[in-house]
Amino acid sequence: MSEAKTNDGKIGAALVVGGGIGGMQAALDLADSGIKVYLVDKEPSIGGVMAKLDKTFPTNDCAMCTMAPRLVEVGRNKDIEIISLADVENLSGGPGNFTLTLRKKPRFVKEDKCTGCGTCVTNCPVRNEIYLDVKLDEIKLEDADMSKTTAILERYKGRKEDLIAILQDINAEYRYLPEFVLKYMARKLDVPYSQVYSIATFYTAFSLVPKGKYKISVCLGTACHVRGAQRIMESLERELDIKNGGTTKDMLFSLESVRCIGCCGLAPVFAINEELYGKVSQGKVPQIIEKYRKAEVKDKAYAKT
Amino acid sequence: MVCAGTGCVSAKCFKIKEALERELKKHDLCEEVQIVMTGCNGFCAQGPIMVVQPEGIFYNMLKEEDIPHLVAEHFLKGRPVKKLMFTPPQEKAPVPLMKDIGFFSKQSLLILRNRGLIDPENIDEYIARNGYAAFSKAVTSMAPDEVIAEIRNSGLRGRGGAGFPTAKKWEHCRHAPGEPKYIICNADEGDPGCFQDRSILEGDPHSVIEGMLIGAYAIGSRHGYIYVRNEYPLAIKRFSTALSQARQYGLLGDDVLGTKFSFDISISRGAGAFVCGESSALMASIEGKIGEPRYKHIHATEKGLWDKPTVLNNVKTWASVPSIIRHGAEWFAKIGTETSKGTMVFSLVGKIKNTGLIEVPMGISLREIIYDIGEGLIGDRKFKAVQTGGPSGGCLPESCLDLPVDYESLTEAGSMMGSGGMIVLDEDNCMVDVARYFLDFLKGESCGKCTACRDGIEAMYECLNDICEGKGKEKDIEMLEELAGAVKDASLCGLGASAPNPVLSTIRYFRDEYDAHIRDKKCPAGVCKALIQYSIDAEKCTGCTLCAKKCPSEAITGERKAKHAIDLEKCIKCGVCREVCKFKAVVVN
Repeated sequence: MSEAKTNDGKIGAALVVGGGIGGMQAALDLADSGIKVYLVDKEPSIGGVMAKLDKTFPTNDCAMCTMAPRLVEVGRNKDIEIISLADVENLSGGPGNFTLTLRKKPRFVKEDKCTGCGTCVTNCPVRNEIYLDVKLDEIKLEDADMSKTTAILERYKGRKEDLIAILQDINAEYRYLPEFVLKYMARKLDVPYSQVYSIATFYTAFSLVPKGKYKISVCLGTACHVRGAQRIMESLERELDIKNGGTTKDMLFSLESVRCIGCCGLAPVFAINEELYGKVSQGKVPQIIEKYRKAEVKDKAYAKT
Repeated sequence: MVCAGTGCVSAKCFKIKEALERELKKHDLCEEVQIVMTGCNGFCAQGPIMVVQPEGIFYNMLKEEDIPHLVAEHFLKGRPVKKLMFTPPQEKAPVPLMKDIGFFSKQSLLILRNRGLIDPENIDEYIARNGYAAFSKAVTSMAPDEVIAEIRNSGLRGRGGAGFPTAKKWEHCRHAPGEPKYIICNADEGDPGCFQDRSILEGDPHSVIEGMLIGAYAIGSRHGYIYVRNEYPLAIKRFSTALSQARQYGLLGDDVLGTKFSFDISISRGAGAFVCGESSALMASIEGKIGEPRYKHIHATEKGLWDKPTVLNNVKTWASVPSIIRHGAEWFAKIGTETSKGTMVFSLVGKIKNTGLIEVPMGISLREIIYDIGEGLIGDRKFKAVQTGGPSGGCLPESCLDLPVDYESLTEAGSMMGSGGMIVLDEDNCMVDVARYFLDFLKGESCGKCTACRDGIEAMYECLNDICEGKGKEKDIEMLEELAGAVKDASLCGLGASAPNPVLSTIRYFRDEYDAHIRDKKCPAGVCKALIQYSIDAEKCTGCTLCAKKCPSEAITGERKAKHAIDLEKCIKCGVCREVCKFKAVVVN
């Protein structure tokens, strides 16, 4: 097939940028409709992300089983020209008739002579280094932190499946999850730090930043929403001068929303630590906050004497 | 009997208890009058609540200072105090007896049969109400297959929302290869506006333990888990008390009741992720992983928790089991409709007079629930819609009020049974805003595994947000419908598959409101900030200066005793002025 010009100036060739599973299928479909295809990919070979996956969503099918036939077909198809290790630099013109500038990166291998045997890879003396987790004795914990953490770990006898419960206890102890405790705990439990981190960021009960002394949880459940909870949240934001999820500079208040405390009969509701305030209105918000501020001033004065 | 459910605890019922103790001591009545702190009575709007048995006299909205008078009159002189009794909104005379109050008289209690009657922290009180009789009947005189047959004949379906036949699940698991087998009680009640599971755990925890024991015996399981939301500390506390008492009585542990059957339950606390109410995500969470659902071509009854056969049922399902075994399948099957048997517990909340927890037979109409049990809307405002089934359910308008409440009818009308939330909306609620609210919730709770759910809900939310902010375009509704279809089809678990329901049902029944937002740039209910303006009605304003004092942005000006005005440039539309005005002079337009 050649790049024949049609009457309206369009050329019978197409360009596909990206040689992943989508790009390969597009190239194959185009070629099947009788169009010459240039398949460009910035990587040394086509295949894209899917080539790196074991299984794919949602069927959990083996990735290579899905894509291997396409890889072979693209390679064999005479109407598809693969241009790998190349970036698209410039594109001008319109659909069917355009000019493209590509920058081809150096491969340092003569492509027409290489058979893909892989001997060069095995013989190359330079290796990538593997990242190793920090060793247990490299993590320094203060005595107080050490005894707290050990006590929590002992409570669960070091069982990995209780990871969430352990994190809940640490969160309750520190009002957040300190990084050094997490790292120590991960090594102790022999769980990858990445897994601990993924759990700590998935569940809303955990925080990676310190929280205030008083945690204000505004219920934004449906019953509270229809009775104006959003406005209560806004008036708290104004009163404390922080946004939902924030903590005041003096570390006294943290503001967050919760999805239903289950006191729908008292809607709208918010809780300050364990204390519940039901049937609140915007007008009452400043008084309630003031009560805590005053108590804090008293506490501080008491601590000084 | 003083209610100590979470609603009443936050209304300071323990202060009432202390005052009662003090007064009873003063009058030397401690011998004759016993104070019992019970589980949730259900009538949460009226808390703190106290019921005097055996007469069943109902006192509500008690204050500490009422108690001396109450004790002196009622307990000493035998004259119940009328002014502390419940007066129905339309009537003038109070109703003294609990069973005569409309809210209670229309209900039929089965799952909640012990509510307000026992102390949840005392196992003897549960046993005195025929507790654990069903379990001992099952374990001593019935074969496991007979138990499953009984459940099958009763027609019990999962009360978590989907309505899968319980016996089918149990049978699958019983015959599935692999040991050990697990059972799980799902108490991760994440739906906003629902609190029935929590009330059961707080008010009658032993009924759940007994149900799980019967299930474990039928399935052949030795270990059970209960997954409770972290937001429910009281439920966790009461349930663990119940567990240790049951262990003391030999109802849990090795060789239960001297038989060869052994079973125990451990508590697993959630960590605040809505998606963990989904069965496979919940199991992942118990295993200490992040709660992402998995593909379910293999049922949990074959490979569930730790890849072992597992049965997972909702709190209400487990709590229904003892009654079925004790009274027999036929008795249970008589209640309800052809396809939906038994009763269902709803939390009736929102703009309704009688907020609370109710248990009704399947097949009752929505109208009966809202107008007979709920006694209508607050301030007798006009009914607009009722939202059922939590964030994945839908909003039903007035025309659907005569629908019977069962699994099929609700699904057909574009909503669902769900775990039993029922939120009543009035004319002041904007339906577009409600739809946006649910998507905002779901967008935050999507675990992010499926692209359609993660990005599709976000796209729908953006679109609804634009409509609420007056930036809606003509084609938006069509676009929402198209996105809804994609999210529904391409999501793995129930969260994504049902996420478009609130949008689709509001479009179906309240299209005119969408049109008003998009074409006329108006919010008929006066909710969407970008489309409303506050102003002061000069006729009604008395110049009390209250609104000007409370205004956070100093947008209201006016001298004392003179008409006030709002500076629209400065107004942030927070609505404080409207809330504080005693003369209803602040209007929305």
